[in-house]
Amino acid sequence: MNEANLKQFVNKKKCTLLGVGPMSLNCVDAAIELSNDNNVPIMLIASRRQIDSKEFGGGYVNNWNTYDFANYVKSRDTKNNIILARDHGGPWQNTVEVTNKLDAKKAMESAMRSLKQDIDAGFGMLHLDPSIDIHENLLPQNAISRLFELYEFCSDYAKSKNIELIFEVGTEEQNGSTNTPEQLEDTLQRIKEFCERNKFTMPSFVVIQSGTKVMEMRNIGSFESPLRVEGEIAVEIQVPKMIEICNKYSIFMKAHNADYLSDESLSWHPKLGIHSINVAPEFGVVETKKLFNMLSEFGFKDVLEDIMKISYNSRKWEKWMLPESNASDMEKATISGHYIFSNNEYIDKINFVKKEFFKKNINLNECLKLEVKKSIFRYIKNLGMVH
Amino acid sequence: MNSRKKVATIILNRNLPNETNKLCEHIIKYDGHLSDVFVVEAGSDKDKLSKYATWHADWVDAVQNGLRYSRGMNFGLSNLFNENKFYNYEAFFLITNDTKLENKNSIEPMLKIFESFPKLAILSPCSSKWGEKNLLLKETIKCFWYIHNNAFLIKQEFIDKVCSKKRPDHNTFLFDGENFRGYHAESELLAKAYANDWCAGITSDVWAEEDESYLLKKYDLIKTEPQDQNLKLYVEEGLEWMKKKYGFTSRWQMQQYVKFFYDNFFEMHPEYKRLKI
Repeated sequence: MNEANLKQFVNKKKCTLLGVGPMSLNCVDAAIELSNDNNVPIMLIASRRQIDSKEFGGGYVNNWNTYDFANYVKSRDTKNNIILARDHGGPWQNTVEVTNKLDAKKAMESAMRSLKQDIDAGFGMLHLDPSIDIHENLLPQNAISRLFELYEFCSDYAKSKNIELIFEVGTEEQNGSTNTPEQLEDTLQRIKEFCERNKFTMPSFVVIQSGTKVMEMRNIGSFESPLRVEGEIAVEIQVPKMIEICNKYSIFMKAHNADYLSDESLSWHPKLGIHSINVAPEFGVVETKKLFNMLSEFGFKDVLEDIMKISYNSRKWEKWMLPESNASDMEKATISGHYIFSNNEYIDKINFVKKEFFKKNINLNECLKLEVKKSIFRYIKNLGMVH
Repeated sequence: MNSRKKVATIILNRNLPNETNKLCEHIIKYDGHLSDVFVVEAGSDKDKLSKYATWHADWVDAVQNGLRYSRGMNFGLSNLFNENKFYNYEAFFLITNDTKLENKNSIEPMLKIFESFPKLAILSPCSSKWGEKNLLLKETIKCFWYIHNNAFLIKQEFIDKVCSKKRPDHNTFLFDGENFRGYHAESELLAKAYANDWCAGITSDVWAEEDESYLLKKYDLIKTEPQDQNLKLYVEEGLEWMKKKYGFTSRWQMQQYVKFFYDNFFEMHPEYKRLKI
């Protein structure tokens, strides 16, 4: 699936595209099956923390490295509908570069090595996001020059391999360069000039803050809320204005963090002309909830308690908590559940219950996958990809 | 009262006389040379009237439920109309008693903007809490299709064009009183403006803040619901009103409705293009 096919699909269907975070093996399988069964493109958007090259120790999803993941998907994507996509590719976007406190030069080199592996492995879409700097507050001009450095590297390398890439730029973070209409216009103009100067293809997607933000297990952004959020441009102004600018530059607008939006909000995405959204943690949470429910329902209370303890103790829920959260320990364990699916202790426990379920003629993985499929299908349907 | 003043400031009060008196005195001090001040008592208790009270909505429903912005401003404007004072003013500054203005002239800079842009009918001060302030750095006035505020300077000529003179009362004069809590009442007002060849803007030359502590801490004095309940009803009742009146089932339809007229306005008036966001 290349850029032209993607754009043709959107224009023909008048729909919004979906990026699915590969939160787990079941989630990846669910996305591939839905994409092939319904003949719709789905972007599998892997962050570097989820899946990265072997050099960086892979990621937390299914102990995959970039190659393993890409090969797995390609072997199952019979209709070639899945777009392997790197989400937030850039310096300090994985744990290793942060833990080792790499300086800017080394972090950029490291990010480029990761991106090179992505291209080699067959990723068709790269989101270049140099908005993080762990050493200093990144100035906009430095962010854009780092973006150009990454863009040039990936474009040249892909060209040398005769590979066609789809690029995504921008970030939803406050320190990004696409937060206000003025910033967006300025950034896109500079990118356009850069691409023309170097004869590179323009990026196909730009990430825009469109009033979505995930905390705990809900979307607290202004898109879902009828009230304005302090410090933000009213979403009623922001969204149409940003789309107008994207259309001017023939670039697709992508909204990140669209998890947990209501059917009503989702159905407005194609009508408003939002070209694409990313959804990730919700699918991990859906799978975890189903797992917890099944363990509870079939009397595996001890295993449930053990798994919840592993999940809670991982403390991966911390970054998702609202400042004055009153989430229960169970809710916290649910939020961080998918982070521990590759944990050895977890695998031992789950292998045991899988056998027990099998004795009852129940395929646990199939049940979990079905639940994730239902959740992904809600998006596909409300975004107008299928009718 | 000096009827030759250009502006009538109408302040909406409900049971907070001290806060209202303070705001009246602020207007008199900083804008008194340009504006008369009128206070609408939205069903306030008799012992909680501002000393500047002009009109008292004291019928049972108003005492029980208040008037809120739409009915309250309709009440003030229609009283001016019925008292033959409406045409004495060029504009009306419609604010609630929780409005906090800077310690300087607020009305004069807005009147100057009105003079510069004759098609501008509605002008809102900016708030430091709004992201829109970032759109008002180079140009301090821009037109919008969505302005969510309870502080507007509105031109008399525009109100005269769209108001209900057959029923000049608290329910119908300018705003639709059926939309009691006023969810998207501003959007409807903006649509009326753009559809009638006027425009609406926000300026960063003047700043106004809403002191939310009144609603959070003094809701029992104001005799309204606690903030979260109030917000819930505001949206639920507003969506119901929108559906009944326009057949809209989402705020996004209202947004597209207003933006349609907004875009048309700038097609027809390219000379105003610098005000377009």
